[in-house]
Amino acid sequence: MNRESLLTQTGWLILALLLALALTVIVALPTGAPPFETIYVLFQGSLSSWSKVGRVLAGWVPLTLCSAGLLIPFTARLWNIGVEGQVIMGAIFCTAALRPFDDGGSAGVIALALAASAAGGAFWALLAGLLRVFGRVHEIFSGLGLNFVALGVTLWLIFGPWKRPGVASMSGTEPLDISLWLPRLANMSVSWVGLALAVAALALVYILLHRTKWGLKLRAVGENPKAATLFSLGPRRRLLQAFMFCGGLAGLAGAVQVLGVYHRLLPNISSGYGYTALLVSMMASFRLSLVPFICLFFAILNVGSIQLPLQLGLDSSLSGVIQGIMVLSLFIVQGLRLWLKQRKEAD
Amino acid sequence: MIVLNDIHKHYGRVRANDGISLTLEPGRIYALVGENGAGKSTLMRILAGHTRPTSGQLTLNGETLSHLTPALAREKGVGMLYQDPLDFPAMPVWENFQLGAPKRSKREVVDIIGELSYRLDACFLPDEPVSSLTVGERQLLELLRLLDLGATTLILDEPTTGITPEQKQDLFDLLMKLAREEGHTIVLVTHKLSEAFEMADSIFIMRQGALVGTLTPPYDEKELVSLMFGEAADGEVEPLPELPADAGKPRLAMHDVLFAGPKYSMGGLNFTARPGECIGLAGLDGSGQELFLRGLCGLDRMPGGSFDLDGVNHASNNFAGLRKAGVQFVPADRLALALFPGLNLMEHITLAFPDRHGDLTEFYHSQCVDKFNLQAHPDTHAVELSGGNQQRLLLSLIPDETKLLLMEHPTRGLDAGSARQVWNHLKRRCAEGATLIFFSPDLEEVLEHSHRVIVFYDRAMAAVVEGEDISMEVVGALMAGKRYDELKEAEA
Repeated sequence: MNRESLLTQTGWLILALLLALALTVIVALPTGAPPFETIYVLFQGSLSSWSKVGRVLAGWVPLTLCSAGLLIPFTARLWNIGVEGQVIMGAIFCTAALRPFDDGGSAGVIALALAASAAGGAFWALLAGLLRVFGRVHEIFSGLGLNFVALGVTLWLIFGPWKRPGVASMSGTEPLDISLWLPRLANMSVSWVGLALAVAALALVYILLHRTKWGLKLRAVGENPKAATLFSLGPRRRLLQAFMFCGGLAGLAGAVQVLGVYHRLLPNISSGYGYTALLVSMMASFRLSLVPFICLFFAILNVGSIQLPLQLGLDSSLSGVIQGIMVLSLFIVQGLRLWLKQRKEAD
Repeated sequence: MIVLNDIHKHYGRVRANDGISLTLEPGRIYALVGENGAGKSTLMRILAGHTRPTSGQLTLNGETLSHLTPALAREKGVGMLYQDPLDFPAMPVWENFQLGAPKRSKREVVDIIGELSYRLDACFLPDEPVSSLTVGERQLLELLRLLDLGATTLILDEPTTGITPEQKQDLFDLLMKLAREEGHTIVLVTHKLSEAFEMADSIFIMRQGALVGTLTPPYDEKELVSLMFGEAADGEVEPLPELPADAGKPRLAMHDVLFAGPKYSMGGLNFTARPGECIGLAGLDGSGQELFLRGLCGLDRMPGGSFDLDGVNHASNNFAGLRKAGVQFVPADRLALALFPGLNLMEHITLAFPDRHGDLTEFYHSQCVDKFNLQAHPDTHAVELSGGNQQRLLLSLIPDETKLLLMEHPTRGLDAGSARQVWNHLKRRCAEGATLIFFSPDLEEVLEHSHRVIVFYDRAMAAVVEGEDISMEVVGALMAGKRYDELKEAEA
């Protein structure tokens, strides 16, 4: 599939988009939404001004961090569905690291918070990994379970030990001192630190997977764990490393949400980016080169959906429906391709 | 009467069957021979309705069809016995027997099993689970089931793999009886010529998807071999290397070793091997030879005893440590256990020789191309290689300094030419001082290539056989559970 020319690849992509459009029309009509206007508003609502582009980029950063990270466990054929919980844990560790500094601090404190968040995400991923490697619990079940645990921990902290003096509410913990906010890029709501982290993550994942022996060994473990044992590649250790690496990047995504976007810990701190990243990785068929673009596309849909209720009086969840349709149509088209190919070979 | 006319079966560019026509008459026994990959099984699967031919016709009792389905084949009386019996081990004998048959009560089924068993000199307990039967008994049960379903044409795919010589004789007697007395057609698919000579009224020979000849008695072995292998029949297997006279330090000395596998354990193992020895392991499936190899390389646990390797004592069998000490294990199931299907050849080399750094292109050439004649681009994925090339790749991944080589079925799935190459290579390694311990379900292979043979029976070492005693009769009897001292007495 990777060996086909760019032209055919694009052709299939266009077919997928057309299918998505057709399905969107079918879904939109009964709800009374004008389909084409809905799509127009979605894009116009996220690209029509610099501040909107900034918001898109602010969504792109955590999404890219998570999606790039997910490629590493997937190389070892692991589905780290616990990435959502790892984002939340990163946010919790980040907030915890900053609690002694409620009077503000320097760049060093921010660096400390980032490191703490990566450690938190990695720790949460390690739990899923240990369950998988030593307890034979499939990582999808342990990951999903740990996601709920992480959410529970956030709620407990916000309404318990970390509640604001006098009020405990869904609006989260006491805001951070302004000196601890990530510096903004011009007037946009995205921070250059976040952008740099995301780009660095993409580069790091590329180098690790394609330019080091570590990546080759990880691929070998994913291809055939039994043979990996015969080659003394230490499959268990490598699986745990893959989990922790992904968890670390997811934790950073949580930190960016705390330091750069909300400036506090919220119940919904992850904004569901972990789950969205799983969709992105599947849509990219785990090819790193596609990840930044698909992330951008999802970020655009996310930001644009805010305009739906404002301009058309529609519920913003329609955007989620459109996202789902996009992914489904891509898979349908991919399945169609595979089926055609197999039929051709059978003849 | 069954007539196959111009049967083609193509898988992509591979022509598994290329225009095959043959006739099967009732009351006769046919052998279909050919090396691995010649297309024998494909042809028989077409006849049994499991594979749809690309083109061609099948005529069964005057009715011409383009293809069969399993149900249709059964209706026409074609039954196939697969190499690995297709039964459900957890279910009892009578339920297995009843599968696929019209609805009957348990009592009726038990009566029919009794009747058929009586007629064919078999014995089955209807309530026993199939998992407790031997492979030979499972085959027999499968055969009874096919006969009960009304099969008049019986296809047996390599039926003698994994059964003792005695069980084989019983099976052949039974087949003879079915053909001569009851007028059944028997097709024996095999790559062992001796079986074909013994049984068949005529022999079909296949090579590279085509039917290259049909022989009738008296058989000329030379003609058959040259038809079967073509030019590959030429070439010699090197003889076993001479063992050095001086005893020296043993390569391997086991002291009361106990190995524990996932299914069973095996204790009290005492055995000594010298450098340069080829040691074959014989035994029915699950008799202990697998555990012996997996324990020695550290894949299965060693809760008791210890062994010396070149004079160094090992009280525990840590896989990585033993590997460093020069112990290499090569499993039979190459793609499932030993290679990475989606990685290419160069990546395999990189993984297998972690101490080599930098550009490995030159090393790849000397290791794979020069030594093993592995003619494939370094970017080829392991899954795309043929069985022979996969085995070559595996052998080229074994470091030269290996001292103790443990191999499961070294020539599994290889054609005669490749198998010969593999053996010549292994013997050269032994001549250079490595010790080889291997097992093969093909008893002839074990007998041919061993200085000594360890026979396993009932999850224990039954005997170590050497010299004159390495013969089909002695080893076969030991495999079936005869005691070595009794055999010796009977001889004397």
